[in-house]
Amino acid sequence: MENRPNPLNQTPLKLLAIHLDPQILADLPNGAIDPSVFRCVNANEAQFCLLLKTSRLWVQFADGEFCDYPYYLKNIFRLLESFRTYSLTNTSPSETFHSFIKTTEAIEKKIFSNVSMTPGENVKDLWDEIIKKVNAISAESHSLKGLVKKILEVPFLQNFQSSLIILHLKGQTKAELMGTIWRSEHIHGLIEVKDFNLAFNSIRKSKIKSFSTDAFIKLNLPFNGSFLAKEAISKKYSLIAIVSRHDFLSYGNEEIELFETCIDLLQPHFERLIDQEFSNKKISELRICLKDFPLPLRIRDGQSGSSFMNDLYRNELQDQDIFYNKKIKGPFSLDLYDSDELRHYAFDLFHFQRISLLGELLNTLRHELSNPLFGLKLSSQIFTTLEVANDDKEIMIEIEKNVDRCQAIIENFSNMYQIQSDIKPVLLKKMIEESLVLAKSEIREVTKKISYAPGTEDLHLNVPLIFVVQVLFNLVVNAAQAMRSQTQRAELAINISLMDSNVLIDISDNGPGIPDDKLINLFKPFFTTKSQGTGLGLVLSRNLTLKMGGNIEYQVNENKKGACFRVILPLT
Amino acid sequence: MKHILIIEDEILIQQSLKKLFERKGIKVAVSSSGKIAIDMILAHDFDRIICDLMLQDISGFDVIEESKKRYSPKEIGQKFVIMTAYNSPQVLSRANSYQCKLLNKPFDNLDEALRIMTE
Repeated sequence: MENRPNPLNQTPLKLLAIHLDPQILADLPNGAIDPSVFRCVNANEAQFCLLLKTSRLWVQFADGEFCDYPYYLKNIFRLLESFRTYSLTNTSPSETFHSFIKTTEAIEKKIFSNVSMTPGENVKDLWDEIIKKVNAISAESHSLKGLVKKILEVPFLQNFQSSLIILHLKGQTKAELMGTIWRSEHIHGLIEVKDFNLAFNSIRKSKIKSFSTDAFIKLNLPFNGSFLAKEAISKKYSLIAIVSRHDFLSYGNEEIELFETCIDLLQPHFERLIDQEFSNKKISELRICLKDFPLPLRIRDGQSGSSFMNDLYRNELQDQDIFYNKKIKGPFSLDLYDSDELRHYAFDLFHFQRISLLGELLNTLRHELSNPLFGLKLSSQIFTTLEVANDDKEIMIEIEKNVDRCQAIIENFSNMYQIQSDIKPVLLKKMIEESLVLAKSEIREVTKKISYAPGTEDLHLNVPLIFVVQVLFNLVVNAAQAMRSQTQRAELAINISLMDSNVLIDISDNGPGIPDDKLINLFKPFFTTKSQGTGLGLVLSRNLTLKMGGNIEYQVNENKKGACFRVILPLT
Repeated sequence: MKHILIIEDEILIQQSLKKLFERKGIKVAVSSSGKIAIDMILAHDFDRIICDLMLQDISGFDVIEESKKRYSPKEIGQKFVIMTAYNSPQVLSRANSYQCKLLNKPFDNLDEALRIMTE
């Protein structure tokens, strides 16, 4: 105690200004306020307010310089805090104030022995009361907003003025601030995730959980002064809970502990309400989307038996006609009504599922290969710059080139499988070459003849590369498989020509061809002559070409044996 | 630039960079493990720390966080050069928050990359 400077002996105390309710002022003995230490101010100038048992004490610090004197400030806060505690035990405010000014020794004692607001002997009762209250407010809250507001009803928080939470849902670009200030006004705001994360991390690392708004300017908290904050995190969100008395007093250890426990107790309830609110939001958004869905559709909740259906479903559908039934997240299942249109869409769906899966795989592969390839490249570069024999140098340069090629191949593949929203003109020749690279293992022993009619070799098409490659790949593989068991030399011919405003890509083989009786079913889904075929390849391919404004036709070739498919694509 | 630490678990990259720096007359220390690198950083004074983000044990960002025990945020920004093959927006914004330089792997231009790492 001797080592601590007596706050009252320090000259900066004259920065302290106070405003007293006129009632107290009148009650004070003359000379109770030493004008060399205190300056009287108006209530609206004051920055802090202390609530006494019977009245209020307003305090202001001059010049706003207090931030530079943390130690000094802390002592003043403690002093004021003790004054507050002291006043609780005295009946007359003037008497209290008088003792506060005059008997510094007694106050000092108070400062260091009793800074906590919560009476120690009643701790256990208080705990029970808090737990009871937390359970009660959680049970009666049906929204997050409501629960946040009700936090202030917890017994030890009754002197607090505001309760806020800042909620960040994983994946969102903004964090949301919500809560109550001055126990009544509801506020709502958005905070940049970057600022939220900074605050979240410093709160998580802090052991005392007591902060000042100065340190969190970016959060734009709707009050000034110190506050208690605690973070909570789950799989789906992270949040910061904040309570404040709107003053600059520091918080007692017990208060901090109670607050932390209180938030821990509330966390499951936060989680429940967040889940509920966001699933409600999601459902209403989903309803809006589904309302205009172009196919008859119904979503059933297996638990409650309730279901949502769009207008088309309502008009058309009978239960027995369900074509597509899929269990979706939660207790829900999705029903789609059988129609040609749906089948059309369903194939697209399978197709896109496949493509996005491939895209993911390729992306992983690219990342996994990039590092070792880069290592190879770097080390071969080192050798090429060394003084070595020319032969060796060439080998090294060759290694480097090959590494670049590997890198380029894997990047091309993974780019190709990204579903692109913007379509750039692509060289037709490149599309054909890419599909042959993809089908390489299937056409290993096949003689390939590619011929371009004049003007087609440097032709650019405004269609998605991936669509065309997929179509050509399917046709080439079909042809190769058809020729697999034959004894004569397998031949694949690709002829590119122009007709009107279309480009024609004819893919023909010298295999057994397609018997006439099978031709009628050629483009029907699930129709296949292969033992392991899905019957989807040609359907998918035709759907894709139709999407691009083209088509696929089977060409009957009178003179020659074998099958020929013609892909027609528009030039513009 | 006298003493560089390279934290990289791809041995070919690590050793190649080491050789390239040594040719420039720079003393080089290497580590394949983030945890060992932290001990090295706390024990020695490096002029530059070149750190891969995807290490086997911990992430490069963890290494930077631990280095705060020794260096101020400003020094961190000057000392660290981050190398990464995954330059997602999250990675970029986090790297920016440390104010340190970022190099994408593979380097587009080796000389340029070496210049950035040693300047």
